[in-house]
Amino acid sequence: MAVHTTACPRNCYSTCALRVTVEHGRITAIDPHEGNRATSEGPCLKGLSYLERVYSPERILHPLRRTATGGFERVSWDAALDLIAERLLTARREHGPQSVFYYTGSGTKGLLNGCGMAFWRRFGGCTTTYGDLCWPAGLEATRLTFGDNRQSAPWDIAEARLIVLWGKNASETNLHQMRFVHQALEQGATLVVIDPRRTPTADRAHLLLQPRPGTDGALALGLAHLLIEAGQVDHAFIRDHVLGFEAYAALVKAWTPARTAETCGVPEGQIRELAELMGKVAPMSLCAGFGMQRYTNAGQAMRAIQALLPLTGNLGKPGAGWVYANLATQIFGPVKDPLDFYPPERPDGVVRVSVSTARLGADMAAQQEPPLKVGWVERGNPACQNPETPAVLRALRALDFLVVVDERLTDTAREAHLILPSKSLFEQTDVIGAYWHAYLQLRQKVVEPPGEVWPETEVYRALGQRLGMTSDDLAFLPAPGDAGVEAWLAARLAPHSITLDQLREGPVLAPGAEPVAFADLRFTTPSGKVELFSEEASARWGVESLPDHHPPVEGGPDGRYPLHLLTPNTKNGIHSQFLPLQVIRQLMPGPSLEMGPEDALARGLGDGDRVRVFNGRGALVLPLRIHLGLRPGVVVACNGFGAEDGGSVNLLSAGRETDLGHGAAFHDNLVDVARA
Amino acid sequence: MRASQFTFDPNRCTGCEACVVACWMEHRERQSRPWRAVHTFNAFGHPDLPVFHLSLACHHCESPACLEHCPAEAYTKDAATGAVTVHADRCMGCRYCTWACPHDAPKFDPGQGAIEKCTLCPERLAQGLEPACVARCPMEALGLAPLAADRPRAGVAGLPESATAPAIHIAPLRRPAPPALGQRPPASALGAFLPALLAVPHPKITLRGEWTLLLFTTVLGVLAAWLGAAQLGGPPLRPWAFLASGALVMGLSTAHLGRPARAWRALRHLRRSWLSREVAAVSAFLGLGALSGFAVPALGPAAALTGFLALFAVDRLYRVAFRTGPWNLHSAHTVFNGLYLLGLLAGISPLAWGLGLAKAGLYLHRKRHAAALSRPVRPWLALPRLGLGILAPLLLAASHPMAAAVCAVLGDLLDRGEFYGELEVPTPQLDLVAAMRRGIHEAGTS
Repeated sequence: MAVHTTACPRNCYSTCALRVTVEHGRITAIDPHEGNRATSEGPCLKGLSYLERVYSPERILHPLRRTATGGFERVSWDAALDLIAERLLTARREHGPQSVFYYTGSGTKGLLNGCGMAFWRRFGGCTTTYGDLCWPAGLEATRLTFGDNRQSAPWDIAEARLIVLWGKNASETNLHQMRFVHQALEQGATLVVIDPRRTPTADRAHLLLQPRPGTDGALALGLAHLLIEAGQVDHAFIRDHVLGFEAYAALVKAWTPARTAETCGVPEGQIRELAELMGKVAPMSLCAGFGMQRYTNAGQAMRAIQALLPLTGNLGKPGAGWVYANLATQIFGPVKDPLDFYPPERPDGVVRVSVSTARLGADMAAQQEPPLKVGWVERGNPACQNPETPAVLRALRALDFLVVVDERLTDTAREAHLILPSKSLFEQTDVIGAYWHAYLQLRQKVVEPPGEVWPETEVYRALGQRLGMTSDDLAFLPAPGDAGVEAWLAARLAPHSITLDQLREGPVLAPGAEPVAFADLRFTTPSGKVELFSEEASARWGVESLPDHHPPVEGGPDGRYPLHLLTPNTKNGIHSQFLPLQVIRQLMPGPSLEMGPEDALARGLGDGDRVRVFNGRGALVLPLRIHLGLRPGVVVACNGFGAEDGGSVNLLSAGRETDLGHGAAFHDNLVDVARA
Repeated sequence: MRASQFTFDPNRCTGCEACVVACWMEHRERQSRPWRAVHTFNAFGHPDLPVFHLSLACHHCESPACLEHCPAEAYTKDAATGAVTVHADRCMGCRYCTWACPHDAPKFDPGQGAIEKCTLCPERLAQGLEPACVARCPMEALGLAPLAADRPRAGVAGLPESATAPAIHIAPLRRPAPPALGQRPPASALGAFLPALLAVPHPKITLRGEWTLLLFTTVLGVLAAWLGAAQLGGPPLRPWAFLASGALVMGLSTAHLGRPARAWRALRHLRRSWLSREVAAVSAFLGLGALSGFAVPALGPAAALTGFLALFAVDRLYRVAFRTGPWNLHSAHTVFNGLYLLGLLAGISPLAWGLGLAKAGLYLHRKRHAAALSRPVRPWLALPRLGLGILAPLLLAASHPMAAAVCAVLGDLLDRGEFYGELEVPTPQLDLVAAMRRGIHEAGTS
């Protein structure tokens, strides 16, 4: 029996450290690892469910080729690689290397992920995406306002006296943050949640504001109005560290409580109550979630929300500050997010970065000279998770040849001509970062890959050899075997004076990790101050330099479709991962649509009815669940379920970018609901 | 090692259910369904109530009802740790403990035909480790502490009133009020959905699931009455019919078991379990009855007495599940049915009339009580139940005793069918629903 230190590499705030017990080459237990202070009590149910996931009979253990009848048959690696090589060579010869489309999602973290793009460069190039599905509007807003995405250590929120979770349901999406929130509450702190839903997180709060979706910016401007009017602002901080206060104050003058209440659909009394708390209770930690920045006006809304912190002097102090993203572990590349996923200012002619992730289907189809012929998808499930599923499916089906690397038969894998099995987190060592805490962690290999699973690095090596690449050409890859991987990782850690042995013991804080962000009050914006007025915002994105509120594209009932559809994450999955597992299914048998009682009554619907959710883009049939705490005019269906469960929520979403950062405006999504 | 109690802080629990998966991880080789469950109070977000979660498994009670009622002595309680253990190899799969336990801890594994439940992870405790659910609770909401006498027991939603002294401490909510909400649905919209949302999704005991028991208890009553009546000048007992019915009764009750081969274990716990006593009495009754019919007529009165003792045991054992009545008496109690039938068959008018009227009274009273609790009244059943089952037999008894008896049995069958629908085992889930109802009512009147 051996116990190993490792970490969960999912696209999740928590990025938990794990202790994994291995007996006779098989994982038998997963336990907490106290080395990660942010997750010291252990992973959530998903982290524990790996025990099923890794050994699931549903897992793909060898290459699969599409048959003439549409099924899949097992093929050898030789046959698979020969087929891929032949298709790649044909595409390159007839259309050029940029006819190959390389798509990666956020399925797993790790430095070795970078080998994929290095391979395609060596191939001669490819076409790929820019932007990101998750968090760009908020990242860019933060960058514009504060200069960089920095935040205090996760446990600092326990020092706050006022915590505002704005559009964040941490109980489900960042469970471990709630531990520190509870610590603050046990010390008498006040918690305010802002969310159209009454989430499990909201029920730990003193005050819940439920604004109309897409009006968060207006709410922030209205709060600023009240704070400035009451003189509850930190004049010294503003004088020394804020750019554009006068203009911002003039802007918010128009956002009277009455107008704000009307726009947001929130009682004026609640807005006043929150402003009063913000004006009087310090330190305040303001933590924004990702869902709220998935609107076409969300970047500006995030800037408006951020302004509440400098106004009240809540920056650079323990228990205070902006909690959104911590990029301290992004030390291995020249630029951090969000800049590193923007299209290059000067294209290099090798990799064509021309497909917006948010508009994946439409943009793939629009590529010319060359058009896309061969697709390679790894770590992602775009047929389920990117906006506008029908357009994505059309674009994938228009390819001559599609390779999908995955652990299971996802909606995307079902579209593939060839499926390659992917390793699990336990089957190749890698170094992973995080975005809530600042720990670098070793995601260790603890067992051999099952069946004929090869790590992607070995797939690229074998494929490169078939394409005529020499070992020099392939020098970007780690040398074969575990020792090669470790040497490759050690070389990347060495400049930061971190060793693999250190990481084997436990998580290591990234150099530059800050207990309290911006304690030096130095902001890397063009002005060196917190910028409420950002010229860069106008220059780069064509938005107003001040973050005024304008309704999003699908801002309100347009007559035909009167309901906002929100598609949040459930605690039971990370996007489309984990949800099919039996251990999860016994707790959450499938998807459903949540609706408030007034909307249900108006439609004559009851709890448990099967209903059709539809708009001009598509339709979905789901069982209805009545939630008495949901704001009228809003319906909710968790994302991540796919065709096997009746279809992705993205059958209804639009391929549209957010105003800032090339994000996906998933929540600009009006629908109606009727009995199925 | 000292006796322990679980501790649980609903202020910290986010309802993540890692504890459920942690338990599966630890016991997955022998666990057919979750032993631990996370219950949510007010999951549908009633504006007057808070939402919170309870992670509950076996409370390893100080006076465990499972252990007390198990006829097969399949349960033990460890003196050192306090752990209540079910030994699958001793369990005959009668599922009586799933009725007796108000905390819904024992689970029936149909694959094994036996009960499984939380073990308190003795192997881990022996190594100085916490139980798997506690060790892997990411929120520090679940804990294990030395058993404390002063733990609050009454009035904790999710802990049904019982005499079991559950070894768990549930911390009070820091803020028992919901968050200050900016809106609430109009009363018409709330009212339209509340009944459905407050409904109990899966009652533990249903007539559909327990029809063999309905048949068993009915036949048993008929046999006892018949044998008794035969002693008192009523229709003579036909030994072969008695034997065949007795075999059917035994077959039904054995087939009902998850592990029929271990049926003999049912006699192990005569000291405390009414189910053990019932099995003993039924066996004795059928044995004596057959003997008296075929060979030793002198045993008739003893056999009949044993039959009524068996009926008493039957009624007694259902008391763990019959809590809805006003006086814990039901018009279809098997003793009443048996005595009523005896009166009809043996032509003992006062007995028949007394029991018939008493049953009718109990029936009507129960219906009124059900109506007061907004439970199903089923008035369309009242006519056949009272007319066919009470009035007709009493009028027919003198002239056509057999016809009267048949009518009475049919009427009682209807009533007893309802009885199975009314059986209600307290569970954490029901207790939470009741607490929600109370909370909504209090908010409505304040």
